[in-house]
Amino acid sequence: MAERFPRLAAGWELVEDALREVRAHPLRSVLTLSGIVFGAASLVSMTSLARAMKEMAYRDLESIGFPRSYVVWDRGPRSDAQRAVDLRHPGLRLADLEALRHMPGVSSVHGRNPGTEMVVSAPAGQRLARVEGVDAGYLEVRQFPIAAGRSLRALDVMRVSRVAVVGTLLQSDLFGAADPVGRTITIDGVRFLVVGTVAPPSFEIAPIDFDFAARRIYVPYTYLTRYRDGQGRLSGVLVTADTATEFGRVLQAGTMLVRQRHGGAEDFEIENEAADVQEDLAMADGILAGWNVVMYAIAGVTLVVGGIGLFSVLLISVRERVREIGIRKALGADDGAIRRLFLAESLTLAFLGAVVGIGGGAGLILITEFISRQFGRSFAIAIHPPGVALAIVFAVIVGLVFGWYPARRAAKLDPIEAIAGV
Amino acid sequence: MAALIAARGLTKTYRLGQVDVPALRGVDTTVDAGEFVAIVGPSGSGKSTLMHILGCLDTATAGSYHLDGEDVSRFAGKRLAQVRNRKVGFVFQTFNLMPRLNVEENVALPLKYRGGVPRSERRERARALLERLGLSHRIGHRPDELSGGERQRVAIARALVGSPAILMADEPTGNLDSHAGAEVLATIEELHRDGHTIVMVTHDADVAARAQRTIHIADGRVVA
Ligand SMILES: Nc1ncnc2c1ncn2[C@@H]1O[C@H](COP(=O)(O)OP(=O)(O)OP(=O)(O)O)[C@@H](O)[C@H]1O
Ligand SMILES: [Mg+2]
Repeated sequence: MAERFPRLAAGWELVEDALREVRAHPLRSVLTLSGIVFGAASLVSMTSLARAMKEMAYRDLESIGFPRSYVVWDRGPRSDAQRAVDLRHPGLRLADLEALRHMPGVSSVHGRNPGTEMVVSAPAGQRLARVEGVDAGYLEVRQFPIAAGRSLRALDVMRVSRVAVVGTLLQSDLFGAADPVGRTITIDGVRFLVVGTVAPPSFEIAPIDFDFAARRIYVPYTYLTRYRDGQGRLSGVLVTADTATEFGRVLQAGTMLVRQRHGGAEDFEIENEAADVQEDLAMADGILAGWNVVMYAIAGVTLVVGGIGLFSVLLISVRERVREIGIRKALGADDGAIRRLFLAESLTLAFLGAVVGIGGGAGLILITEFISRQFGRSFAIAIHPPGVALAIVFAVIVGLVFGWYPARRAAKLDPIEAIAGV
Repeated sequence: MAALIAARGLTKTYRLGQVDVPALRGVDTTVDAGEFVAIVGPSGSGKSTLMHILGCLDTATAGSYHLDGEDVSRFAGKRLAQVRNRKVGFVFQTFNLMPRLNVEENVALPLKYRGGVPRSERRERARALLERLGLSHRIGHRPDELSGGERQRVAIARALVGSPAILMADEPTGNLDSHAGAEVLATIEELHRDGHTIVMVTHDADVAARAQRTIHIADGRVVA
């Protein structure tokens, strides 16, 4: 092995020499390394944290928004409608929903009826609450968790059942301490069976208040369609594409389909939720990019400060080892050999610092995860490999740059003067 | 046959501030292969200065110096380092062993600077030499665990490990008691009998008497 890779073997021997020096001065080595350790630790932990925050923010935004969805809203007749087609305005109908459901690339469609405030009477009291008509599966797609009982089912929607899922934040007002599931409430005078309760969605980091989701009452949209908006009509259809790449096509095709079905009437409008999500994600990216700049600056300054520490310790090391340098030269070491000796020491120290720092960064990440758990959140922060690579590359550069002058100084010593200790 | 060492008109002048201090004032000398030569002279006469130049640790201010057929007075830097490594084995009065390396590592060190000698071979050669000098039992020890005589013999082993053309020793017994000094001297004599060329500086007339030939130096000149 050594015979086959002489250069590698020589390099390794230099590292061994350097490690011998490090072991000979453990405290000094630790102090020298501290700057580089902190720099590398901050680089690794902060890039990992930034990456994790970004991913969590993405997940949050994706869980509340619909990165693959758009909504077709019924718009009703325009007040300034001039064209005959607009006056005819068939409006959004259940048949539109079914047509959209069967388009290629569509993963799911959900009927929606955003509803209005209605008077809700329950055993513990009466109050005004927003009643929203939704399709089966809608609460699940939105990731509004069912707290008790069950969600709305396809059969409820099909049969236009008078069942309701009540937001948990309304629960005490309407039912006091009693279990709402199985009780009856009246909405605008009509009796509904409460089949479940729904809690507000939870987010990993996004500072979004979604409590309103748990201040509503969800009923089959078909109920509102039939009894309020008129037979066969609905307010909105949430269309979700199979994949993000297909989204654009699905959006275009869906728009064309509805327009065609309505004979060109402008009686609907499209809310592009995917675009909204992209906008939010872009904003999150922007914030994180700004943070990255600050972070790299901090890590860079720390590493450079670490490099200055390394520099002064190497100068001390050279001064201490003047005699040794002289002896080595007397035995036949040329300037290059002495230079390599000290550069290897510098690089070894810097590299060790980076390795310890990377370990420290991993420790900081574990601590962050631990703290997040104490606050009831479970951050899962993966170590960001580019951050690790950057820490090592940066440390090696620091080792080379700050080791260069001390190494050169050592190499320039005159053997006789060095041995005499002048 | 050409002399191993052939120096002509070697001059060395140190500059101390504005003052020139002449240490050598034109030294001519030759040493043939296989000779054992002692250099003697009063303190400050320039013995060490001459040895350093002959050992290629230092360069002369003027004059020419041929070592083993090469005009090394024209060499510098890397080439001079290689001459030191291959042609000369230098033994110091103060041993100058590496305190953190053990005996074997100390002896093998010059081969590290030869290039291309694998570690296993360096180790083997160091061990063989230590065995020859009766130091096998000290292989793993550090210099500070050895007696003065042992340290100097380790230093001799280190000087010889690269099979140099000449062994140069500047007062090798100067820091030793008489017993250890005799031991080191016996080693040197034995090396000479084995055919090594040896140049040794000494203060001691008895020591000098053991050499085949004596060069007397006074005030930077060869006087006899
Ligand atoms: N680096 C130096 N700078 C200035 N003068 C020096 C230097 N080295 C030696 N000298 C002077 O050169 C002269 C010769 O010194 P050298 O060391 O060669 O003498 P030496 O014969 O070896 O003496 P000793 O027996 O004491 O070892 C002395 O006068 C000394 O002071
Ligand atoms: Mg001297």
